[in-house]
Amino acid sequence: MVSLLEMPQTLPQQLPRQNDRPLDETESATIMIDVRDLDFAYGENKVLHNVSLDIPAQAVTAFIGPSGCGKTTLLRCINRMNDLIEGARITRGAIHLGGVDINAPEVDVVDLRRRVGMVFQKSNPFPKSIYENISYGLRIAGVNRRSQIDEAVEKSLRAAALWDEVKDRLDANAFGLSGGQQQRLCIARALAVEPDVVLMDEPCSALDPIATAKIEELIQDLKTRYTIAIVTHNMQQAGRVSDHTGFFYLGKLIEFGPTTKIFTNPSEKRTEDYITGRFG
Amino acid sequence: MTPAKHILGTFDEALSSLRNNVLMMAGLAERTLDRAVKGLLQRDDNLCTTAIADDEEIDQLEKQIDKDGVDVLLRFQPVASDLRRVVAAMKLSPNIERIADQATNIARRARKLNRHPPLPEVEIIVPIQANAMAMFKDSIDAFSREDVDLGRAVVARDKDLDYMNKMANRRLTERMAQDPKQLRGYLNLIFVSRCLERVGDHATNIAEDAVYAAAAEDIRHQTVATAT
Repeated sequence: MVSLLEMPQTLPQQLPRQNDRPLDETESATIMIDVRDLDFAYGENKVLHNVSLDIPAQAVTAFIGPSGCGKTTLLRCINRMNDLIEGARITRGAIHLGGVDINAPEVDVVDLRRRVGMVFQKSNPFPKSIYENISYGLRIAGVNRRSQIDEAVEKSLRAAALWDEVKDRLDANAFGLSGGQQQRLCIARALAVEPDVVLMDEPCSALDPIATAKIEELIQDLKTRYTIAIVTHNMQQAGRVSDHTGFFYLGKLIEFGPTTKIFTNPSEKRTEDYITGRFG
Repeated sequence: MTPAKHILGTFDEALSSLRNNVLMMAGLAERTLDRAVKGLLQRDDNLCTTAIADDEEIDQLEKQIDKDGVDVLLRFQPVASDLRRVVAAMKLSPNIERIADQATNIARRARKLNRHPPLPEVEIIVPIQANAMAMFKDSIDAFSREDVDLGRAVVARDKDLDYMNKMANRRLTERMAQDPKQLRGYLNLIFVSRCLERVGDHATNIAEDAVYAAAAEDIRHQTVATAT
């Protein structure tokens, strides 16, 4: 499989960086990702239909819906992970990150994926040491100074609330960590390259309640610095961690709004039926 | 409105049981209030004693509803309209319990009044009771049928009941001055009127919770201008 970081680069275009901008009172209302009129298909199979939504900066946005509704496909569109699937393509509409069309030919997909990190359902650390898991992305990005890498490793592990648990065994194999620790390591790995956006695809589905709670607390902490989009099947989790929620069904965005509103008084009957367990 | 079937049959059963207990409690409180006021108007101590005894069952139902509500929240973590229904049921039951307490107070006052010669002024209580009882029944209907318009209408009627209570107080205070020998009797009637006015207040709370359950709208503490 081709490494994302080794994919050929097109003309590099610097995407605007959220972290470069000073924070102000209106920051929470800033739109980081703008999905507009998006249709997406795997070959002839159209899986997203006319999806439009704004993902606010420095907030957590949850995508919920039954399996096969297109929520993960949308998540993977945001950092062009679907480029790796043959025949998969956006057939209409666009996604803008900080005002830039991420599918424009001049956009460097490697740069995009550095800005938009991803954490998967199953933790997938490299078969290397804890330290190397974090430093790998930095080295690929051209950072070679040991002190700089050390600093970034500690910073990322602290940000992922893992530092205290692993600081004395950074050279140990990452596979020796528990499932929850491995998932936090993957989050730390994503944070090491200082992204603006972190996409999480059911990050807690394989974790026990304590590990899940740690990830959820981490998400709350991270949202002060990053824009987070999370796909989850756990309705309570969406209610706990997210500020905005989108409900998808059969490839369509049925309803999008503040999480409190979605979970107390949704506007759409299909949303109500799904979240209350009366679907189908 | 009956929601579609839940994927967990046990959830539907638990919600239905909670709701039925609230309606049963309301039915008992209504009967108790009716007995207490009849005990007063018909000078029937037995009805008063029965009304007082009924309170125990209503108190137990209040505890049961709280327990069942917590159980539903714990087991099913309901959201949206389901959550509102559970929260509303748990908020309704203390109001119904207090209505039953008011009925008990009325029954106790009635027994005191029954020990003395009848007072013609007891008739003042009849329209107040009719209004308070109608508000209570309608508030429960609003909850049961998830009828937002009826809930709002009940809230609006509370002012009328307050006015009737005020007028009754004025009339009975005048009678106390004119006929000091019956002072205790008039005082007891003032208390009865006050209890019925409180029934209206609890019915208002129930109606407000009914509107919240049905439409997710918080209509408490609104002025007349903003309530419409």
